Amino acid sequence: MASRIVTLLVNGTPQEVIVRPGTTLVSVLRDQLELTGTKRGCADGSCGACSVVVDGKAVRSCLIPAETVDEAEVTTVEGITPVGGLGPLQEALVEGFATQCGFCNSGMLMVATALIAENPDPSDADIMRAISGNVCRCTGYHPIIRAIRDAAAKMRGAQQIAAE
Amino acid sequence: MLDRVDVPSDLNAALETLAGCRAGAILSGGTLLMPEINTRATGLTTLVSLKKLDLAGISVSGTRVTIGATTTLDAFGRDERLALLKPVVESIASPPVRNMASVAGNLFAAQPYGDLAVALLALDAEVEIAGPKGKRQAPVSEIVKKGVAADEIVTALTFDLPDGGSWFYAKTMRRNTNSAAIVCVAARVQVEGGVVKSASIALGGAGPRPLRVPSVEAALVGKPLDAESVTAAAAKFEADCEPFTDAYASAWYRTRVIPVHIRRALVGA
Amino acid sequence: MDDHIPSETSGETLDRSYFSDENQHDFKVVGQPSPRLDARGHVTGTTRYFEDNHFRGTLHIKVCRSKRHHAKLTRIDPAPAMNVPGVVRVLTAKDVPANWYTVLRLINVGPNDEPVLAEDSVRYLGEPICAVVAESEAAAIEGASRVQVDYEDLPVVLDVEEALKPDAQIVNPVHGKNYFEYEGHPFRRIRFGDVEKGFAEADHIFEHRYQSRPIEQAPVETTGCIVKPEGDGRLTIYSDTQACFFTLDNTALILDVPTAKLRVVGGTVGGGFGGKVDVMVEPLACIAAMLTNRPVKFVYDRAEEMQVSSPRAAERIYIKDGVMKDGRIVARKMTFYIDSGAYSRHTPYGVTKASAHVPGPYSIPNVWADCHCVYTNRTPSSAMRGFGVTIGDFALESQMDRIAKTLGLDPLIFRLKNAYRDGDTKAHRKKVEGAALIEVIQRAAELVGHDLPEEYRKMSSVKREAK
Repeated sequence: MASRIVTLLVNGTPQEVIVRPGTTLVSVLRDQLELTGTKRGCADGSCGACSVVVDGKAVRSCLIPAETVDEAEVTTVEGITPVGGLGPLQEALVEGFATQCGFCNSGMLMVATALIAENPDPSDADIMRAISGNVCRCTGYHPIIRAIRDAAAKMRGAQQIAAE
Repeated sequence: MLDRVDVPSDLNAALETLAGCRAGAILSGGTLLMPEINTRATGLTTLVSLKKLDLAGISVSGTRVTIGATTTLDAFGRDERLALLKPVVESIASPPVRNMASVAGNLFAAQPYGDLAVALLALDAEVEIAGPKGKRQAPVSEIVKKGVAADEIVTALTFDLPDGGSWFYAKTMRRNTNSAAIVCVAARVQVEGGVVKSASIALGGAGPRPLRVPSVEAALVGKPLDAESVTAAAAKFEADCEPFTDAYASAWYRTRVIPVHIRRALVGA
Repeated sequence: MDDHIPSETSGETLDRSYFSDENQHDFKVVGQPSPRLDARGHVTGTTRYFEDNHFRGTLHIKVCRSKRHHAKLTRIDPAPAMNVPGVVRVLTAKDVPANWYTVLRLINVGPNDEPVLAEDSVRYLGEPICAVVAESEAAAIEGASRVQVDYEDLPVVLDVEEALKPDAQIVNPVHGKNYFEYEGHPFRRIRFGDVEKGFAEADHIFEHRYQSRPIEQAPVETTGCIVKPEGDGRLTIYSDTQACFFTLDNTALILDVPTAKLRVVGGTVGGGFGGKVDVMVEPLACIAAMLTNRPVKFVYDRAEEMQVSSPRAAERIYIKDGVMKDGRIVARKMTFYIDSGAYSRHTPYGVTKASAHVPGPYSIPNVWADCHCVYTNRTPSSAMRGFGVTIGDFALESQMDRIAKTLGLDPLIFRLKNAYRDGDTKAHRKKVEGAALIEVIQRAAELVGHDLPEEYRKMSSVKREAK
């Protein structure tokens, strides 16, 4: 067994982990770094619960052997939570009753984070496309889409104020 | 169980590892292989990741397109020069999966997945392959049928970009997004003097692999590209197809709708 | 893809025209949005689901499952699994102190008809045969794939009506017949009035067959648990069960230990929908933890969740209705064949619920129902959102639409004509209270702009109009 040291920048913090061959990124995050906000749902990429942002792109952390993302920058739900508060997307999910069992929320948040970073003014269709691979079995898609729309608007507003 | 995951930065090193290991597999985007690794005893001991091989990238020279094997579907979809084929990419999976999945990997997706492979088949794409004996080229039709040898690596794909008027693509799914094909139709049909001069029509969801429908193609040549002649030509699909049953549709249903979707793809509803 | 998601509509106030007697208060909370207590945890990823507990040295379980629908097990050889580096132990039926159980024994539904691990036979595809305990998930998967099992195939019963034929292969030897027995009867029965007389008098007879497949709950978090042996000899079970006390009591019975030996930490469930009511993973994880004195994790992968976590039962339903020219239903006969799979789980109860729902929310003077709980060589079925009722409703309301269409009646009017009302006696001899069906149909019609004639707009669940 050729275990390897993998270096990652996780939520801004440099991390070194020793991984056995084929250890997935979700396992590194959850089992080694104890960042358990990222969820394991299907292990085959179809549920979206494990979505994280790697080097600016939303990806499935269950499909990534850690060795292949050595030196990558990883953002998880823990990384978008400001100290002592909630980020705009998180706030919108709470206020819009877009949580039920909660298991899909982290993945939805990371996909939405990547979406808004690239497209600050997404249409409902854009949002639907973006989260089309994230399953919410409590079927609360509409509140989730509304929350992402509301958060994007809020973030645009904040940016405008900052710019002025 | 895996005892080695290599991320070589040199193609020859990758080929050597592949040739030298007991049970190795190539890992590109991981969206097809990792589900297997995660949940089944695959017998694989070694993965060779193509991540650092510098095989990603798109170049266009005239109408000739060359796409590196590890180019992600996302990068493919964003390339303005390939805008005509963007609907193909956008019909596949969801954005996070497209951020990972590679163009070459799509050639090895089991049906009813592999919509890009269907499009590449209609485009008569050529596949560049590296192996212990050097490089070779093969038509995509051969690769979707036979795959490549265990010690070979697909390095690139090349094809001629069709012009807008001759390209047709339609994928029918049970949902608007992120679903496998019930039927996927990709076609390049050239019309001259009011009649079809050449037609290459590929289907997904119509058999164990992406396939061409030569009987339909032949029946269309020399006819006008209208509902009547397309309907007549599409009726000949059965000679070339082996529709199957899966969670998305039954073989019976696919058989019923294949000619309908050929017609819709080529001449609209 | 240009779907527009409407903005949240404002909360509806109570319909005081119907609920005038029941709710006299001015509510401060009802009708007002109030933030969910768990929402903050959910959106920050800090809500603790069972798998978010980490213990050093945790072992992993993977189950070797039947590759046959119905077979005798002529040999189980776990030795090749033990040769996989990292495999610690392979559990077989012999390791389970009280191997035979049925979840609803806690409320006196019996007999125990299902083994935790298969003994001499397997009765459905995917039935657990043995459990491989290993240092890593990969080793457990590898080990489970190497267990050698020899099968001697037995005839397979996959159809509910075939299963009830006299010469059918017996699926479950504990029952000795392919149906659950209800107080000496081969099915749940409803007998109300005289259906045959009703059919004889009816102007029209409608007979149709309805059928559903099993439906998987598919929660995003799969079924699983982590069991940790504590210093005081107890086991802490971190589980995503929807039924902590079902799990606690059934696990104690299976382990043959006092319930005080077990502590279940649960209540946070990443989607359940009924799929996490059965006791599926905890007993084996507890046994492995007791035998190794180490924490043990047993989580279904997605394929297991889809294949062997109990789905909603498949049902086949026959409905025969006698209907008068004016649209009154005078007799309804229903026969349910509900597929329990190879074992009982919650389906005998689901069948009782199905019978309790006959004949739907309608007042029909003559009702007959036979509701069969049938054993087949399929995945055992169990709870799922309104189980026993939803498929019956699908059949009933499809039947209602078909009749309305054939008779040229407005489907809402047809339902209003037959709607049950407060004070009616239902087929179970229960007096109807709080029906509200008529008011709901009236309001729904209004909301969608479906015009109803005056007499139907004036109808009330509380009072029947004078003839």
